[in-house]
Amino acid sequence: MFRKIGVVGMGTMGQSIAEMLAAKGLDVYVTEISAERLGQAMDMLEASLDRQIERWAITQAEKKLILNRIHREVSVVNLSECDLVIETIVEDLDSKKAVFEELDRILSPDAVIASNTSTLSITELAGATKRPERVIGMHFVYPAFRVDVVEIVRGLQTSDETYGRTKDFIDTLLAKRSVMVYESPGYVTTRLICLLINEALHVLEEGVASAEDIDSAMRVGYRFQHGPLEMADRFGLDSVLAALERMFREFGELKYRPSILLKKKVRAGQLGVKTGVGFFAYNKDGERLP
Amino acid sequence: MNILVLNAGSSSLKYQLYEMTGEKVLAKGHVERIGMDSSILNHEAEGRPEVREVSEILDHTAAVRKVLDMLTHRQFGVLESARDIHAVGHRIVHGGETFKQSVLVDESVKREIRRLFDLAPLHNPAHMMGIAGVEANLPEVPQAVVFDTAFHQTMPPTAYMYAIPTVLYRKHKIRRYGFHGTSHDYVSRRAAEFLGRPLEELKMVTCHIGNGASCAAVMHGRSVDTSMGMTPLEGLMMGTRSGDLDPAIVPFIINKEDLTLNEANSMLNKHSGLLAVSGISSDMREVVQAMQEGHEAAKLAFEMYAYRIRKYIGAYAAAMDGLDAIVFTAGIGENSDLLRKRVCEGLTFFGIRLDEERNALRSKEPRLITTDDSKAAALVVPTNEELLIARDTYRLVTGMQASQH
Repeated sequence: MFRKIGVVGMGTMGQSIAEMLAAKGLDVYVTEISAERLGQAMDMLEASLDRQIERWAITQAEKKLILNRIHREVSVVNLSECDLVIETIVEDLDSKKAVFEELDRILSPDAVIASNTSTLSITELAGATKRPERVIGMHFVYPAFRVDVVEIVRGLQTSDETYGRTKDFIDTLLAKRSVMVYESPGYVTTRLICLLINEALHVLEEGVASAEDIDSAMRVGYRFQHGPLEMADRFGLDSVLAALERMFREFGELKYRPSILLKKKVRAGQLGVKTGVGFFAYNKDGERLP
Repeated sequence: MNILVLNAGSSSLKYQLYEMTGEKVLAKGHVERIGMDSSILNHEAEGRPEVREVSEILDHTAAVRKVLDMLTHRQFGVLESARDIHAVGHRIVHGGETFKQSVLVDESVKREIRRLFDLAPLHNPAHMMGIAGVEANLPEVPQAVVFDTAFHQTMPPTAYMYAIPTVLYRKHKIRRYGFHGTSHDYVSRRAAEFLGRPLEELKMVTCHIGNGASCAAVMHGRSVDTSMGMTPLEGLMMGTRSGDLDPAIVPFIINKEDLTLNEANSMLNKHSGLLAVSGISSDMREVVQAMQEGHEAAKLAFEMYAYRIRKYIGAYAAAMDGLDAIVFTAGIGENSDLLRKRVCEGLTFFGIRLDEERNALRSKEPRLITTDDSKAAALVVPTNEELLIARDTYRLVTGMQASQH
């Protein structure tokens, strides 16, 4: 079973994954592109733990224990002892390939390299390594510590053994529900939810209903925790746009074409919770403002 | 006969080695952070220096091996070889409805403990790892399991059923089980001995007041009611647990505060009780100190804590139609004379007359804290769950050996 876990890339998703892993009692080795970025990421992670205390999810003592299990590393090279490394950097194929190449060089031959990508090809990332059978996708849903599903993505060459170890890790150690998916842009979760968000944006554009009412209808009507627009704000509108564009390119079907409104919002820098404004407004703790 | 008593947690292992002829503890200690590369073992044996060792202990099997190494260590150990351990007794939190007393471990017992994982998801799996760890290291040594719930299996349905659809009882075994059974069992017997009266004649309320807290109505030596329920959350207010509350509050808060089930659970178990009301600490000593310095919230927390114990004692006096003795035990019950005073002061109706001098006395021995003319007695009886586990194990193992001859 994996015990020492590396996380490369401490953006929104990386932080969330590292926080969840450490909360499950695992030692996590995290790294970012610069010491400064890593410091910022750790500050945000700590702020997130504080919010968890406010929500009574953890105690002060547990926060300390969690932080003690997260080890900052200045370089990917320092992750060489890990038996599983999860890559969560920007959704850019070339950057990801470079990380995979480097991890392949430094990790023990037994170690598994996983990507949290939602739209890029695991098979292609595996191609950048000499161990394609030990490359797999682990797609977490944000926020990873609250959402208990993980899509395990099998690339063309991913071995049964690697799949088995990964599934075991997720089902037993992380106590999350794993879903096996084959390589396809967006898998199940991203593909379905982005389509829903995109359609909600069309409804908004067409003036069928207000943003507030669209969200209320779906939240109350279908027991969504957040409506599709607030969900988009929470994922980050730039991420939603990137996912839709990727799927549009890959599938070539019009239904994936991102709504104009989404593009405009991203161009305006209104990216949702992380900038304080998206379709709704938020405070810096990520709470919806009335 | 030497008996090793184990209490296995998910990442910890506590142990005590008993020599049963004189019921003496030869050595004790605990392993922490199992599963990490820097696990810690603390070990102490009489007349030897204390040991603290940091090493990599990846699972419970390795932890048990480490403990055996320490017990047979040339310098710190107390045994010649691991063969000098003649039996192992485990503390098991949940025995469900199956286990009404301690038993020797066999395949069917293990299967049953596994089946009960659902009812004690945090504890029983860890206990099983402890059992497996002993099997791997001492395959020939008999093992016994002693359950926290077993003593309360004598409760009648009137006490253990919840007034909710009975299909839930049939499907998921949702009912009251009670905990701290080993402690309630031990102190009630010890109290009867101390009073010099037969257990079978006494109506007692035993109050196990520690980090977790529960009261039990012990009538004629049998538990007829106890304050903890399906989980250790029900009943008294505790250090960080809420104890009794209106169940409608839970969905109400989940809705208002947008909580997950996990968060709601954690709120009631780790962020409530003394800690929540005092706003200071879950530790009774710190709450009392703050109260004495005039802290209002600490005073409220203390008063609520004492009031709820008093209510349960009153309820159990009614449940048994009488009260001969109240027994205080565990960390707070044994050490906080102030709490005992506050509880007993309001029980004059039941014939309790506190003797302040006796109450203030500190001791490791059982003692009376009421006056000689008090109609009902109040006692402090230090608990010793490990000893009871060792005794049960001893009884079972010698019984097994006798039947083999």
